[in-house]
Amino acid sequence: MAVNRRKLGALLGALLVTVAVAGTAGASPQGTPGVSSKQILIGGTFPYTGPAALYKTIPVAEQAWYAYVNARGGVFHRKIVDKTIDDSYNPAQTVPAVKQLVEQDHVFAIVGSLGTAPGLATWGYLNQRKVPQVLLATGDAYWGNCVHHACQGSAKPWTMGWQPSYPGEAKLYAKYILKNKPKAKIGVIYQNDAYGKNYLSGLKTGLGSHANQIVDTESYSVTDPAPVVGAHVGALAAHGADTLVIFATPAASIAALATVPHIPGWHPLTVLNNVSANRLFMLTAAKNGASLNGVISTTYTASPTTQANLPGMKLAKAIIHKYAPALDQSLALGDGNIIYGLASAWTFTDALKHAGKNLTRAGLMHALRNMKETKNPFIYPGMTVQTSNKRTFPMEQLKIIKWSGGGSGDWHASGKIFSGLK
Amino acid sequence: MVDAATSRLEGLRGGAIDPGTATVVLFLLGAAIFLLIGCLQSKNFAQLTIEGLALGSVYGSLALALVLVYRATHVINFAQGELAMLTTYIAYELMLKGLSYWTAFAATLAIAFVLGTVLQVTIIRPVQHRSVIATVIVTVGLFILIDGIVNWIWGGDFKFMKSPFGNGSFEVGGVKILHLYVGMVIVVFASVVLVWALFRFTKLGLGMRAAALRPAAASLVGVRVDSMLAIGWGLAALLGAVAGLMAEPTQIFLSPGLMQPILVYAFAAAVLGGLESPAGALIGGLLIGVALTLIAGYKPHIGPITITSELQLPFSFVVLLVVLLIKPSGLFGRREVRRV
Amino acid sequence: MKNLPALGSLLVVAGVLSALPFLISDYNVSLVAQVGIFFIAVLGLNILTGYTGQISIGHGAFMAIGGYTTAVLSRDHHTNLVVTMVVAFALCFVVGLIVGLPALRLSGVYLALVTFALAVSIPQIPLQYSTFLGGSGGVQSAKTVSNLWIYGAAWTASAILFVLAWLILRGRIGRAFRAVRDSEIAAVASGVELPVYKTLAFGISAAYAGVAGSLFVLATNGFAQPSEFDVFLSLEILIGAAIAGLGSLWGILAGAAFVGLLPQISTSVPVIGAEHGRDVVFGAAVILVMLLLPDGFAGLLGRIRRLARA
Repeated sequence: MAVNRRKLGALLGALLVTVAVAGTAGASPQGTPGVSSKQILIGGTFPYTGPAALYKTIPVAEQAWYAYVNARGGVFHRKIVDKTIDDSYNPAQTVPAVKQLVEQDHVFAIVGSLGTAPGLATWGYLNQRKVPQVLLATGDAYWGNCVHHACQGSAKPWTMGWQPSYPGEAKLYAKYILKNKPKAKIGVIYQNDAYGKNYLSGLKTGLGSHANQIVDTESYSVTDPAPVVGAHVGALAAHGADTLVIFATPAASIAALATVPHIPGWHPLTVLNNVSANRLFMLTAAKNGASLNGVISTTYTASPTTQANLPGMKLAKAIIHKYAPALDQSLALGDGNIIYGLASAWTFTDALKHAGKNLTRAGLMHALRNMKETKNPFIYPGMTVQTSNKRTFPMEQLKIIKWSGGGSGDWHASGKIFSGLK
Repeated sequence: MVDAATSRLEGLRGGAIDPGTATVVLFLLGAAIFLLIGCLQSKNFAQLTIEGLALGSVYGSLALALVLVYRATHVINFAQGELAMLTTYIAYELMLKGLSYWTAFAATLAIAFVLGTVLQVTIIRPVQHRSVIATVIVTVGLFILIDGIVNWIWGGDFKFMKSPFGNGSFEVGGVKILHLYVGMVIVVFASVVLVWALFRFTKLGLGMRAAALRPAAASLVGVRVDSMLAIGWGLAALLGAVAGLMAEPTQIFLSPGLMQPILVYAFAAAVLGGLESPAGALIGGLLIGVALTLIAGYKPHIGPITITSELQLPFSFVVLLVVLLIKPSGLFGRREVRRV
Repeated sequence: MKNLPALGSLLVVAGVLSALPFLISDYNVSLVAQVGIFFIAVLGLNILTGYTGQISIGHGAFMAIGGYTTAVLSRDHHTNLVVTMVVAFALCFVVGLIVGLPALRLSGVYLALVTFALAVSIPQIPLQYSTFLGGSGGVQSAKTVSNLWIYGAAWTASAILFVLAWLILRGRIGRAFRAVRDSEIAAVASGVELPVYKTLAFGISAAYAGVAGSLFVLATNGFAQPSEFDVFLSLEILIGAAIAGLGSLWGILAGAAFVGLLPQISTSVPVIGAEHGRDVVFGAAVILVMLLLPDGFAGLLGRIRRLARA
């Protein structure tokens, strides 16, 4: 029996229409993905599990900020919905997660994702599709150096970091050491990946002709147990270092700090990278026998403990208490990750406001690339978050902090705010 | 009757000392002398060696658990490390509820034993007789499952556990020895000795040895082979729990990834020592621990290549391979006689 | 896999795979492409384990070598991506032969654990030679491809490699492999050159893993980085091979689908939630499947066939 052509044609047509509609499902009426009259859907990948899981308070704090903003009507009456996916710090998981966020969930932007390798795995894809990949939670220099210049084949104008870069921070340490201990014999322990190497090269650049004052460098692996990290620190002492620079993630930093008192007669000037300077980690280091007084680091966020009376810190306390009460205790102890999350999210909503009611991805990028943020209540008072055509690193300022008060003490800031660090 | 049969069987397997074992013993003696001289010469060397021994005792403890299971069931339990991690979290939880460290320690060991036996009975026993590969895959599935459960219940973030030994140290000849390291070695060795005593001097231990050596013959003389295997898994889990609790201070924080780096070296120690040799597993663990700290402290060269932290694992792999090429069943393993 | 599956089954599979991209969303195309990638890796391991009985828990290392080959060639010489896959195949074949040589000395469990150590060590190498191999910043290929490209490439390669495997296994080499698996001693007694065939099996299975690795990196936006090749990858390939059982087309498809799809689907499970669903559900599923089907999928098929005949 011959097939009824008309019916077949109608069936095929219906099928095609269904597929077409299914394919475009989720697109907003205005055409900007993720944006409707009621909400803005953003997404991000974070290490809720895996080796970097101790940073998982950051997305929780960010979501607390968005909840606060939403309770006040949102931005131009749109509520912000943040969909986060766990990628375990593994780029092979980041890629499908980001593809899902962009192609299935149709998010407006990828905001605040954590990790350099995850970021590098997805920046080509996101830039190709012109999806904003902004406020990345890592200090690697890629995010500022590749806006106008090609990296890995092409420029990445849709990608942007936020925090001060690692090389910039290291250069400040170099400056500090040369000023306060000009004849220092420097020993560096650093993680054997891009993060650690970024810091080390920044230190060497900052030391300039004095780079030969580095008597030894020891690399360690992120999975190394404390005795092995301690062995590396011992090697630095054995090479005659009188200044210890620690470019390490928290567990290894604590192991390194705890080793120092066990090397007889060694009292080095100790410099610690700020990613591990969270007060919570310092308290743990003290419990493990570290001697903390005099350790140097830097900060770019306000302190919820020593600056608790700042309006921003009071606001932080209230927001966390209302929207993320599980974090109350660690905030009270001085967990800087929480302030980081709030500060970064503040920048995002501020940019949304500047991007205007008619929200597009290009509009967001324009707002983010022309920021002059002076009122962020969570960053260190007096610092600005600033971008322009020439300034591709939003934060280039740091303040030196020094620990005092022993095992229940805190960081105390001194001196001026250093700018132009990148 | 079981006694006589077992000892006769063990006697058959023993026999005269072969040249292979003699070489190994000489090598170990040489290594011990080298370490001793080094310790006397340099305080740094001594400190590193002691740290290495403490670290190595953790590897050895987990390796011993692996060997226990392997000897009894010819299965490598991939989940041994994750089980140890789970029991460490249980200890953490008990301490949060107010128990003192050592009470929690004892309770955790008991819980670990029960957990090990239950796992063997519920998920290992059904597949064990059917297919070795299937049993190994079940342990792999268990690895992934436990990791997921711990992340689910406790979260992936890092927790702090108080060290049972404090931060004090002894001073011997100018060398600072942390109480922690001495404690680790003592606790591990105490557990190992207790388990060994169980095997050697009790009727239960005798039954377990018989069940592992000749299950068919053992069941004929009345040994409940299946129960023996379950108890073997329980003891392995107990040793694993010790490894986990002693490992935690060396990782600074408690996190779900606690045992994963340790598992790799525990496998290496078990293979290095010979999968059928408990003593080998321990010695293998100690060797690896000391080697790791010495390499980290001295960054030795092998020709043009310096063994940096990036090359640590590849170097260990090469060493393991070389040892196995010379002695394919590990330092103390016996060559399997394959009957046609 | 002695007998080529019925022409009917082959046509059905081919037909479904050809039609699928037009019926499902692009995101789901990427998922089915992952299944194709695992199909190749599982097929390779199946040849080694199923046919010569040598267990390897280190095939993730060969995937890493293949993946990096593609990324580096593309980055430095803008080599055509398909050409890089062929190079990966050849390179991993040679590396597999080299690994297979010392493997001859080791048996059963010892071999398994040494290959495990290999899998853990290989991803460290790029960290040491970071200028050439990208360190932890990874290596980015010059060209990236769409989900559809990967889908097509993965399944075309699967088809070609499946036929290749069938050709190898039906002939003399296959008979030798099976003889080795069934009884090494008998095989030697009947004149089978043991070392040659055992090493050859390693080379072939490594080559397959190499191609899978190339596709794996291309599916990760052409970005090769050490954390992508962690222990779990090698374990997943092993799980896939175990679930497949002794290499029928359907078995290998089932094994590949299990490890390629289940972890992704598990993230949508309610109650446990996206964060942990992946591991809890996948882990439990692996245990369950092995308890119910210790001989893998092929064993199940065998039982069904016997039932059908009875």
